[in-house]
Amino acid sequence: MKLYLHIKGKRLWQLCALVVLGIALACCGEIITGVDQPDTAAVGSTVTITVHIDIPTAGNGGPDNLIFGFLVPKGWKAAQNTTITYTSPTLGDGNMTLVPGTTLAKNGGGLNWPDDMKKTFGIGGNLIDDMEWVAYQSDKAFTHNGSEITGDLIIKIKVGADNNNTLAKLGYVITDSGNGFTSDANGTYYSEKVSSCFQLTGGTGDLVDFCNPQLTTINPPKSLDNDYITLTFDGTVVTPTPTGLAGASAVYLCATAYTSDGQTIVVCEQTDKTKMVQIPDGSKKYQITFWPKAFFGTTGTQTIIKMDYFITDQTGAVKVGYGNTASPFEYNFKCS
Amino acid sequence: MRHFCNRSWGNCAMVLAIIIGFSSCKIEKLAPAQEAVKDISGNWRIIRATRNGADLTTIVDFSQFRINFKDGKYTLVNKVPFLVNDDGTYALDDPKYPFKISFKAGGATPVATAFNFPIVNGVRQLTITFSPGCANNSYVYVFQKTQ
Repeated sequence: MKLYLHIKGKRLWQLCALVVLGIALACCGEIITGVDQPDTAAVGSTVTITVHIDIPTAGNGGPDNLIFGFLVPKGWKAAQNTTITYTSPTLGDGNMTLVPGTTLAKNGGGLNWPDDMKKTFGIGGNLIDDMEWVAYQSDKAFTHNGSEITGDLIIKIKVGADNNNTLAKLGYVITDSGNGFTSDANGTYYSEKVSSCFQLTGGTGDLVDFCNPQLTTINPPKSLDNDYITLTFDGTVVTPTPTGLAGASAVYLCATAYTSDGQTIVVCEQTDKTKMVQIPDGSKKYQITFWPKAFFGTTGTQTIIKMDYFITDQTGAVKVGYGNTASPFEYNFKCS
Repeated sequence: MRHFCNRSWGNCAMVLAIIIGFSSCKIEKLAPAQEAVKDISGNWRIIRATRNGADLTTIVDFSQFRINFKDGKYTLVNKVPFLVNDDGTYALDDPKYPFKISFKAGGATPVATAFNFPIVNGVRQLTITFSPGCANNSYVYVFQKTQ
């Protein structure tokens, strides 16, 4: 009987330890419990998104402000086109305001909040690096005193300031100004959610697809003819029918520039000038970096406003266009 | 003083030591160090270039580009995207402590940009930050004088 009680006590201690550990791990830190976001919207419309949050606290830390990060395409100019409010039974109602760019993130290694968010969370699985984290903070602070703060962040954003039809994954992250994106024995002080692909339609601009792998991409995504642009052809992208360039040892750019004075300039040759280099070897990803003004040989007064292009093989006979069709890829030189 | 010294020779000696000590101090006139005027005259080539922080030097051939500064004028050879595309005049915002350099191509409006003039490994370098296309695209060119 004595032995039996001893074993039971030991198990009880183990159980208690697990419970305490579980409570400790679950006790603190911001959690996004859900996001209500539409799947589609029209360019120029105002979209309402609700982020549900839960913040269990412990000890007597703070007071800290809630920090919220919103990942959106840069072209939407979210900082100018977004308002965020919050409702909370414990914290009350209030506003989220933009965090000044000069405010350094807690435990952010000297970065400000948007840069720390990008360093910590990247661009949320989007494939084009033209997304930005916009950082907000609550106008009220809260203390870490063992209470649990629940509430909703209500985002109202006028989408598509760049007038582009867009496919993008939107991101949401919360933390507090006293901890930042850290974890300790008390818990994890941040939480991130990334939406599935959000579609914006009805715009008159380009289709910008952040979600799906593209046969070709141009970096920087927004540039003028006086920038260096890097054009990448990704031979690993699966299309309904394989491109005629599968297994090509070298691929070439065949492009037409359209200038502001109504001229068209064609550069379609298979030479070193247009050769796209496979980087790294065997990757089936080919790149060319060029200065459009020099590549097309424009005069000092000519400005290139648009470029059509195909990717060809060494003979020029095989031409791959947009979506592996006979239509060319298109790129507009613009900054917004 | 005599009365003071009569009462305490120790105090008297201390006061005399202080007076002698102060009177022995010599005011040394320090000439302020003269900062040299920054002279960027010469022929410069690009040794490193970045676009939005990403290295361009390994994927773009900058070897033929030159910028020559002489007598307040600059000339560009084998042009690359730059703050200006034509030859013209240049000026530093301060001859001794320059932080900005401005270029004026022909009759165009002068354009100024951030400018650094460090010595790296004993060699003077010229670092210029600018945006030749979209303002969001930032380029940094690091120049070194040609031999």
